[in-house]
Amino acid sequence: MGIRDWRWGALAAQLLLASSSLLAQTNARTGAQPGPPAVPPPDAAASAAAAVPSAPVSLSARKVYEQARPSLVQIRTVLKGRASQTSVGSGFFVTPQGHILTNFHVVSEAALKPEQHDLLYVTADGREAPLVIVQLDVLHDLALLRAADATAAATGASPRRFDALAFRPASEPLAQGERIYSLGNPLDVGFAVTQGTYNGLVRRSFYPQIFFGGALSAGMSGGPALDEEGHVVGINVARRVDGEQVSFLVPAEFASALLARGRDAAPLTGPAYAIVDEQLLKHQAALVDRFVQQGWKEATHPRYRLPVPPDVFMRCWGTSTISTTGGLDFERSDCVMDTRIFVGDFTTGTISLRHESYDGTKLGALRFAARYSASFRNESFVRLSAQHQTKPRCAEDYVERDGLPLRAVVCMRAYKKLPQLYDVAVLVATLDQSQAGVQGRFDAQGVSFANAQRLAQHYLDAFRWAQPH
Amino acid sequence: MPITPAGPAAALLEAVDRDGTVRQAWRIERWPVSIGRALDNDVVLSEPHVAAHHATIDLVAAADGAPATFVVRAGETRNGVVVGRERVAGGAAREVADSGRELDLQVGRTQLRLRLPGHALAAEQPMSAIASTEHRWLPTVAIAVAVLAIVLANAWIDTDPDALARTMGSVLLTTIAGGALWCGLWALLSKTFTRQSHFGWHVRVFVVASLALLLLSVVPPLIAFAFSWPWVTDFSFIAVYATAAAAIYFHLLAVEPARRRLMRAVAAAGFLAGVALSLWFNVQRTGRLGEELYMNHLFPPQLRLAGTKPVDRFIGGLAPMQAVLDKKAREQSNGDNDGRGGDDDD
Repeated sequence: MGIRDWRWGALAAQLLLASSSLLAQTNARTGAQPGPPAVPPPDAAASAAAAVPSAPVSLSARKVYEQARPSLVQIRTVLKGRASQTSVGSGFFVTPQGHILTNFHVVSEAALKPEQHDLLYVTADGREAPLVIVQLDVLHDLALLRAADATAAATGASPRRFDALAFRPASEPLAQGERIYSLGNPLDVGFAVTQGTYNGLVRRSFYPQIFFGGALSAGMSGGPALDEEGHVVGINVARRVDGEQVSFLVPAEFASALLARGRDAAPLTGPAYAIVDEQLLKHQAALVDRFVQQGWKEATHPRYRLPVPPDVFMRCWGTSTISTTGGLDFERSDCVMDTRIFVGDFTTGTISLRHESYDGTKLGALRFAARYSASFRNESFVRLSAQHQTKPRCAEDYVERDGLPLRAVVCMRAYKKLPQLYDVAVLVATLDQSQAGVQGRFDAQGVSFANAQRLAQHYLDAFRWAQPH
Repeated sequence: MPITPAGPAAALLEAVDRDGTVRQAWRIERWPVSIGRALDNDVVLSEPHVAAHHATIDLVAAADGAPATFVVRAGETRNGVVVGRERVAGGAAREVADSGRELDLQVGRTQLRLRLPGHALAAEQPMSAIASTEHRWLPTVAIAVAVLAIVLANAWIDTDPDALARTMGSVLLTTIAGGALWCGLWALLSKTFTRQSHFGWHVRVFVVASLALLLLSVVPPLIAFAFSWPWVTDFSFIAVYATAAAAIYFHLLAVEPARRRLMRAVAAAGFLAGVALSLWFNVQRTGRLGEELYMNHLFPPQLRLAGTKPVDRFIGGLAPMQAVLDKKAREQSNGDNDGRGGDDDD
């Protein structure tokens, strides 16, 4: 007989609660899309640039903006031959030769589908010119571009010189509470400067990110954050939609490293999937090494040792639910990473795991088994559309860890445009008690096959008795 | 009510319904016999598709030993007469040698059967399984009780202790009402086609099929769990479809008892079409023929008979999956590119 999925209504709500606190890395970009339907005339952008933001701005903000204004650009992705923008972001010149830094997510459509998109930049005084992509750092969400009119002018008599911003030297770290200024073109409204504070690095982030205590809006992605001397300390990247003035910057050191790497590189030709793939392979190697080496927390359950990672770059949330109808009681733990790698239409490169510990002593063996089975059934192994991923393939068996019998299911999917990368999911149910049990699920996205096996083994090995039997 | 005249048999012309019931019979004492709508015919058929003087049938005796011959003459009719399987058009005639068995005719929409005294008779048929089992209620009741017990046990398992009483009531009510409705509709069909409702037969088919389906919802998952055989539940839907097709077949038997073979073909075709569609749908949905991505039925641990594997052997066994996934990823993304290339050709 069909066992209804009554319990999962409650669990789904819990999960939503946990995920709503995740970093909304792409919101800055997608939020800009329902904005103005067409490219505003350059004059409008220029006049808007002169407008002062509504928040009170100090004298030094004005000085910083005046100084940085010639280096600021808005970056537009437009549909080839349609002149309609599909997304807008910000950027800034970093060399007199016309190199521009921005976020990867600002140019991802142009990088991954160059046959459909063109890139161009618009300066604060309304000058518009095409752009080419030179180098990407997908892991830190950075892209190095170059003004196409710089290379074109180079063939002429006098190459155009651009006003570049300088990076703050790494030897002079900022102190928490220091004032910094974030510049960009929010929501395609016009160039703006917002001021906020430097709050150190984000806790539990896999890659370092600056916690900026100021407001960022969609469209400011890729813009510079400057100190009071006008030196670049970071690049606007994301904000938390569930908080106020909780925003994030990519530290300048990664931007200057990308510049050093790509200063003399030739522009990319064709879709950038090969570069993305190569960088994701490096990411997963580092992620899996760190994940496996950090081990597991102790004392996670009175009867079992369960896989719960330490709070280094993951965050675990727990809930406890007591049935109101004399049914199944359970406790749940959800562990997620804040960091995920944006790859155009989807994100990847993250690990999550959870478990539910069930107590069915009020129910008896048969009724418990029905609910335990329904919960085991209620799992999805499909994530991305068929355009990006294969359908899942699974292997399953009874496995044993020091006498603790488990049902284990391992499902994997391959990425279609990112060769040698896979998603792996492990589903586990303990099978030693007739009125209680624990079910666990582990997910890793964008890992090599060998690492998928390694993670699955690492996870399954973590299930064992708390005391030797 | 068939009216069969008394007296020494001469010949008998019968109007037969499609289920074989004799609607009317005429005793034939002289030849030729005239058939039509007009009142001066020997056999009067008041039917709009019958002409005033539609047909005559004559019986011509032959020399000793040789069989007699029927001569069927169609009168001024647009529809003609069907003799055996052949049509005799209006104004034409046809001779048919007496085969020693009854002669079938169709006049208008009326099916006629002509019998001569010397004709061989088909052997007596036993009462149909349907009619002979219908009065035996005890097994049906016993199975029905078993079905109800299983349904209630399932409801008990699925319901939390505090909500039990109300759920049990509604489950009992919906099960009985649903079963009665199902059997009632079949009985209505039977009544329409056979003049008998065969309600007892339909109830029996329903309870037996229900019991089988209930067992199929428990036994394959239990086997899959106990022996770690995922394919059992992956393909147990085929057994469910077979049971459903068999139930439909037995229901249909009480609707069209004379067309056993046709009903069997209908049920088999339905079964095959259902299985084929499900397999196709599964392939579309998951890329696999089976229904379940993984065996997802857990029972109390004591019922597990299969042994366990060490974790590293299980993980090592994943290796072949890589080639399969890589092949799928390549195949389908190539297909995508081809499609896009076509769109962008301007």
